[in-house]
Amino acid sequence: MPILTIFGREMRRILRQPVYLFAMVVAPLFCCLFFTTLMGEGLPEKLPAGVVDEDATATSRNVRKNLDAFQMVNITRNYANVTEARQAMQRGEIYGFYLLPRGMENEANRQRIPTVSFYTNSSFLVAGSLLYRDMRTMSELASGAATRSVLYAKGATERQAMAYLQPIVVDMHPLGNAQLNYNVYLTNLLVPGVLGLFVFMMTVYSFGTELKFGTGRQLMRRAEGSAMAAVYGKLFAQFGVFVLTGTVVVLWLYGVLHFPHAGGMLRLWGLMVLFVLACQGLGLTFFTLLPTLRLGLSTASLWGVISFSICGMSFPVMAMHPTLQGLAWLFPLRHYYVLYVATALHGFPLLSLPWNVAVLFVFALLPLLCLRRLAGVMQHGRYEP
Amino acid sequence: MFRLFLLHLRNILGDQAILIFCLLVPLGYPLLYSFIYTGEVVREVPVAVVDDCRSAESRDFVRRVDATADVVVTAYCADMAEAEELVRKQLVCGIVAIPKKFSHQLARGEQVAVEVYADMAGMLYYKAVMTGCTNVSLAMGAEMKVQRAGGTTKQQDDVAKAPIVYEEVSLFNPQVGFAAFLIPAVLMLIIQQTFILGVGIGVGTARERGLYRRYTPLANSFTGLFGSVAARCMAFLVLYIPVSVYVTGIVPYFFDLPQLVRPLDLAVLLAPFLLACFGFANCLGVFVRHREYVIPLIVFTSVPMLFISGISWPGSAVPEVWKWVSRLFPSTFGVQGFIALNNMGASLSDIRPQLLALSAQAIVYFLCAMGVERWLIVRSKRSAHD
Repeated sequence: MPILTIFGREMRRILRQPVYLFAMVVAPLFCCLFFTTLMGEGLPEKLPAGVVDEDATATSRNVRKNLDAFQMVNITRNYANVTEARQAMQRGEIYGFYLLPRGMENEANRQRIPTVSFYTNSSFLVAGSLLYRDMRTMSELASGAATRSVLYAKGATERQAMAYLQPIVVDMHPLGNAQLNYNVYLTNLLVPGVLGLFVFMMTVYSFGTELKFGTGRQLMRRAEGSAMAAVYGKLFAQFGVFVLTGTVVVLWLYGVLHFPHAGGMLRLWGLMVLFVLACQGLGLTFFTLLPTLRLGLSTASLWGVISFSICGMSFPVMAMHPTLQGLAWLFPLRHYYVLYVATALHGFPLLSLPWNVAVLFVFALLPLLCLRRLAGVMQHGRYEP
Repeated sequence: MFRLFLLHLRNILGDQAILIFCLLVPLGYPLLYSFIYTGEVVREVPVAVVDDCRSAESRDFVRRVDATADVVVTAYCADMAEAEELVRKQLVCGIVAIPKKFSHQLARGEQVAVEVYADMAGMLYYKAVMTGCTNVSLAMGAEMKVQRAGGTTKQQDDVAKAPIVYEEVSLFNPQVGFAAFLIPAVLMLIIQQTFILGVGIGVGTARERGLYRRYTPLANSFTGLFGSVAARCMAFLVLYIPVSVYVTGIVPYFFDLPQLVRPLDLAVLLAPFLLACFGFANCLGVFVRHREYVIPLIVFTSVPMLFISGISWPGSAVPEVWKWVSRLFPSTFGVQGFIALNNMGASLSDIRPQLLALSAQAIVYFLCAMGVERWLIVRSKRSAHD
């Protein structure tokens, strides 16, 4: 069977050239370990923040103390004025500060409605937003505390007081990621994204180097002239290694770290396998259309790197330009993301979104269209530096 | 040395692969990224409403939620099962469920809870749904407080609403936009990564073709090695000085991103940054046996480097081990320095630690690059003898 000969030949290539093992196993698994340990906290806690306490009264000190007790906030310093605090922010020492103006307590007691302010650094979106949330809650509480003391004095019970202070409350239920864990939210897609990038690149690389080192003809000879055997023999060997890496990733994320997988681990594994196949198909298409190593690899890295942005994991696709919303369909990671949400977070079967599955299958079948042209390239193509 | 410089320059300009990575990519990528994120914020996130109360109050709540910029009500469902079906099809990103006793409890002066479910597919969906609903609940709550307090003057009403008011200021990125937050960091990273790729391809090509053998006479003296590395450095800088001016100076202007930096300050930051990038890239020459080798080796590192630089993931939450690792890369300090100057209008004295670190990197990596150069030359000589 020529396909087995090619399979064996490709396996030897993978084992002999360090770049293959690096790109197919070491680097993706390193990224997996990197992201899961980097964001091991899940939600960044104790973000450094400052206080500008111009009031210096019991009330203002109380606000400071309470603010410091919040999960996200760590009051690292008092600043004498807003300018000093702003400069600390520019130096990157704090992500935000809270201003308690002179005469705050006095005005509050006299019902003159003082204004407190808080400043968050939105250049750091995550840190800024998290601080914003806690500082806003603190401000609501400070306002409520002032009213509550009046209500208690009038003889209201705690329940009555709370109902008066906040007639309507919003009970938030984050679906599928109850702790707002950033590790879950990002790593689940960053790691497949890196893997997909490597699948693109190594598919191109493995065919491109046949030309570079002048082994294309030998490949076709060993395949007994069968394009099918030559292409699929190589692809299957790489598929095996990539799926092995993908399996370790799935086991690590869902088996060891217990990231949400409402739909079961097997479905996510199946999704990973389909994703690898789709990326291989697309990678091979890049090389068939641009059969030089340099152009093929450039396209592969472009596609792989853009995937992270256009898949919509961090910035939603629906907020992008309509052109990009259409383009997103051409990126396997986009479909991986949509299907991952459906199965891991919502617990539905993959086929609940049949179109996305279908597109991944189409990508996976693309090599069939490339066979003839690719065989020609292997026979007669020349390496261009 | 000047002859060597011209030789390197000719090699660079004659190499399509280097030109792709050092000209095309830095020219095109920033435009593409800015185009993707140019929407800045997420508005009108679709939600479904399950209104079990069906009273004037509950309809008022829903109407106000719909009116916020963050959320749009796209479906009114009879029950939760129907709403969940819409979540399953990913047609809505949240559910607002109003309990049966909503108006009843409000009328009795009891506290009432609205159940809001948010899709965690993205943090921005969650943020939009939460912000929209919380704002409405607070606004309606304030009106009710005024009503219940039954004050006579406007001052009494205002005190009833909130005895202490607050204002929120979002510094350096007033619309809390995504592009203004991410793109500046990505820009610096693009410079570093394409620089490394370009230099790497250059070194790989030279190794492949045995060009290092020609430099044999340079290997034995410090000045010879220095001249050899410096000549390559200068040849690449001819390309990279205009490229980095375009990426850091012109792209933010095109896309109306924050741009508070003074040109001279930017130059002071870019000088050590570019030198550090060059030295770093040259040191990687050890691993680059063939010209295309460097691409799978380097491209993926962009993502970890972006996260480790303290922008996407707050620097204060980066574990100590990774903080040490991050100090190896010019991008860490380059990104931090650029964000401080460009987004926050900091002065050079504010980013002194970053400037010092970059300068140290530039010197150390340049010396290492000379070592690598010597190793490559000696090695090529040996392989020529074999």
